[in-house]
Amino acid sequence: MPILSINHNSLEFQPGMTILEVARKNNIHIPTLCHLAGCTPTGQCRICVVEVGGTDELLPACETPAGEGMKIMTHSPGVHEARKTIIEMLVASGAHNCLVMQSPADSWNSDQKGIMEQPWHGGLCPAYGDCRLQDLAVEYDVHVKEDHLAWEGHPLDDATPIIVRDFSRCILCGRCVQACNDVQVNLAITPPWGRRADHPEGWYPAADYEACTHCGECVQACPVGALFDRKSFGKALANEMDHIRTTCPYCGVGCQLLLHVKDGKILKVTGVEDGSPNKGRLCVKGRFGFDFIYSEERLTSPLIKENGEFRKASWDEALDLVAQKFTTIIQESGPDALAGVSCARSINEDSYQMQKLFRAVFKTNNIDHCART
Amino acid sequence: MRHPEIDTWNGKARDPDLSVLDMEKWPGRTTLRAIMGWNGIKVWDKTVDAVALLAAYLEKTKDESCGQCTPCRLGTVQMAGLAKGLTQGRGKTEDLTRLKFLAVQISRTARCDIGRTLARPVLDLMESFSKDFEAAARGTKRVEEGQAYTSLVTAPCVAACPSHVDVPFYLENIRMDRWSEAMDKVREDCPMPGTIGRVCVRPCETRCRRGNLDEALAIKGLKRFLADREMEGKLTPKPLAPPKRPERVAIVGAGPAGLSCAYYLGRQGIKTTIFEAQEGPGGMAAYGIPSYRLPRSVIAHEAAGVEALGAVIRYNTRVGRDITLEDLAGQGYKAVFVGAGAPGPTRMNCKGEDQGYENFMPGVDFLARAARGEKPLNGDRVAVVGGGNVAMDCVRTARRLGFTDVNLIYRRTEAEMPADALEIKEAREEGVNFHMLMAPIEVQADADGKVSGLKCLRMELGEPDKSGRRRPVPIEGSEFVIACDAVIPAIGQACAVDQFLPQAVVSEWNTLVADKTTGQTQVPHIFGGGDCATGPDILIRALAAGKYGAKSIVRYLDTGDCTPGPEDLMEALTGNPALFETDPPLPYPGVTRREEASVLAPETRIQSFDEVEAGLSPAQARQEANRCLRCYRILVAAL
Repeated sequence: MPILSINHNSLEFQPGMTILEVARKNNIHIPTLCHLAGCTPTGQCRICVVEVGGTDELLPACETPAGEGMKIMTHSPGVHEARKTIIEMLVASGAHNCLVMQSPADSWNSDQKGIMEQPWHGGLCPAYGDCRLQDLAVEYDVHVKEDHLAWEGHPLDDATPIIVRDFSRCILCGRCVQACNDVQVNLAITPPWGRRADHPEGWYPAADYEACTHCGECVQACPVGALFDRKSFGKALANEMDHIRTTCPYCGVGCQLLLHVKDGKILKVTGVEDGSPNKGRLCVKGRFGFDFIYSEERLTSPLIKENGEFRKASWDEALDLVAQKFTTIIQESGPDALAGVSCARSINEDSYQMQKLFRAVFKTNNIDHCART
Repeated sequence: MRHPEIDTWNGKARDPDLSVLDMEKWPGRTTLRAIMGWNGIKVWDKTVDAVALLAAYLEKTKDESCGQCTPCRLGTVQMAGLAKGLTQGRGKTEDLTRLKFLAVQISRTARCDIGRTLARPVLDLMESFSKDFEAAARGTKRVEEGQAYTSLVTAPCVAACPSHVDVPFYLENIRMDRWSEAMDKVREDCPMPGTIGRVCVRPCETRCRRGNLDEALAIKGLKRFLADREMEGKLTPKPLAPPKRPERVAIVGAGPAGLSCAYYLGRQGIKTTIFEAQEGPGGMAAYGIPSYRLPRSVIAHEAAGVEALGAVIRYNTRVGRDITLEDLAGQGYKAVFVGAGAPGPTRMNCKGEDQGYENFMPGVDFLARAARGEKPLNGDRVAVVGGGNVAMDCVRTARRLGFTDVNLIYRRTEAEMPADALEIKEAREEGVNFHMLMAPIEVQADADGKVSGLKCLRMELGEPDKSGRRRPVPIEGSEFVIACDAVIPAIGQACAVDQFLPQAVVSEWNTLVADKTTGQTQVPHIFGGGDCATGPDILIRALAAGKYGAKSIVRYLDTGDCTPGPEDLMEALTGNPALFETDPPLPYPGVTRREEASVLAPETRIQSFDEVEAGLSPAQARQEANRCLRCYRILVAAL
């Protein structure tokens, strides 16, 4: 196998691997912002640049092929300076207030106060504590001068019921574009890039709601607080929530969910990035359809209808009634007068029992599953 | 030639031969005071306002930034702002440091060459005019009002293309699946993308920098990909609704040059009438290129696109026979564009070629008649003389018409053949016999006057000639005869514009004499270009001649004059490959292969004139476009 060196360590690699892949395989940390696992690297954010011996250019680790004998430095002073410059530019390019939130309000300058007055900016950023840009700004000790801030004039799209697109926090990394087009293939977010002269209004990855399914893949891909869901907005900081992995109950695919839970209550759901079968992907139901579990209108006991009115009943009473009516129907009309529809939200074992009940006990093949409709 | 007073181009390693900068000879009498671009600066007039030039350069760079990578997107805005501040007396000394710092940072980290090429000119200019910049930072520099600029965005591939199609632009849009935007851009410079996407000889690909790494981009294939989608109706082109203009322009010839000129005049709202001697459009593209390489439906589609813009094509009308230039002037045409092509055969200068033997036919005539569905020659054995693409078209067409023993005779070796390497490969796959280092000396015929053989002489290569190719020298006493039923000379084509043009604009070789930049002739309202001016040349150059001719005609109609402007000078300047040559090697290994379209098997394709090559699929196109390195180059000049 060919060999290269990263930070003076000789490492083997497979031809065709990128520098980033070689580094990650060897637990060498190179920061990324725009890199989205499973997609063709776009090399847009330039945070992953590294020094390669023999050239003055810095090369993006995410899309540069590893080469025999390459001498790579991932954290040289030049790399550090370049990354810091880029992070500085990104922080200055939008309404990023997180770095001053802990200083007293009377110490804030007019830009910072102005940001706080914008819609969805009154409190902490929804990504606070779980933001890659914030992490990098802290790690690279970035400070932005007041007169460099360009926080005004960005569009805001909060017209739909679930997702808010606040482009004043957008760093144009393009992850939402790839999440929509390459991961979910909904083709709702057209790549906005092109000559600035042809885009006087700027480049914003806006969603086309004719094509959008509100699956929220873009929200999960957003590394900052530009895309967020209304449901969890302002409810908890990232580090206040527990994460519980579970299986989505909506259909038979079995997507892996990560429940973000605070005080025993689910606030947000994301896909488990490395979990099969969904590898982080979710549909609109799995990601956003969870708050019914806290509904006051949920049934808590069986109900029996008598004289047009429901009354509460015990499980024993209800099941006895059903068993008796089924028996009567079978006696009068035969077992094919009955049919069972098993719920897609049931676990596999329950669905198995259900068909056993219908085939072995009731002696009918009239058994189906609601996910087939 | 005027030498620059300050010259850092290529780091002064060597002064590339920029003879085009002999600006005293430039017809527009435009002179550049200074240029700054990817490889440094050249200053002819030291009194130029360098601070304002920097601001103009950075403003241009900012405008070209595409928004994808952070340093270029945000850094160019900061830099342009700082430079503007300097010109407005708002500068600070630390701004100079910051400008230099950002220039280096952007160049080191940007995604493409818009940003990557920025440091060198900025640092060179700031260093060469450091006193001016310091004065500007202190607010003590006099600001020159009204310094004018011109700029040009190019790339090695764009500069190599005679029509300067913006290749990186449309490749990137294909990568992003924005096919319509891609095609709109192609059509700004190439009116026949389906044709060019199939038969272009690809000067762009030979200069593609990716070729230094692994393989050049499949630029031709990607253009065809767009053209195929257009013909399928999958594109939504930006509507063209130019204000209608009253002037009418006459065009001689519905070949590539004429169609191109009509297309671009149509985009300006000018109605044209094209007079075409043949019964259909396309000229040499239709009657010289066999349909297995370029289906008729493609040419019909592209001609229809020209007609949709207001052109009327009058077929079977030969200017000079059916109508004269004086007639046209009398009918109110304000200008004429001559794109008459080079449809005549040239002589081999061998015995028997003008005896009128049966089954002896020049290549252009053979191809034209085959294109009309005839089988113009009979027999089993044919000898084709020549080494260019027309010769390849002849042998491959002969194969499809049923000749079983097809022979190509060329006087040099395969290495010197001007034909496309792919054509040579595919001809060989189709069973064509290649005979190198042979020259015909006599066409032989039997008693009935039918061709019976071709007497040849063997050659060897001697000293290189003017073209750099080694000259073939006959070997004494090496005569021999190739027995054959038909002979097709395909060694070149001739122009015949003297048949209808005034003597003043016709050269001794019967070509049209027109200005290379504007296409204008000595007779101010007569313009022209393409093969009739250059002799047989590549198709894209004919399209370019039509495009630039249209531009000049509009200028002529507007002002009565079509002197080239500074932007033309800039284009001419970047036509010099020396401007680009010092690109360092790319510092990583090439690991991608270019996407290739599928082709019919040789035994299938010789059965018919069906198109040999299929187009790229959308997935292939996206993959291929992703390999583009976007080697954009920005040049800004102070006038």
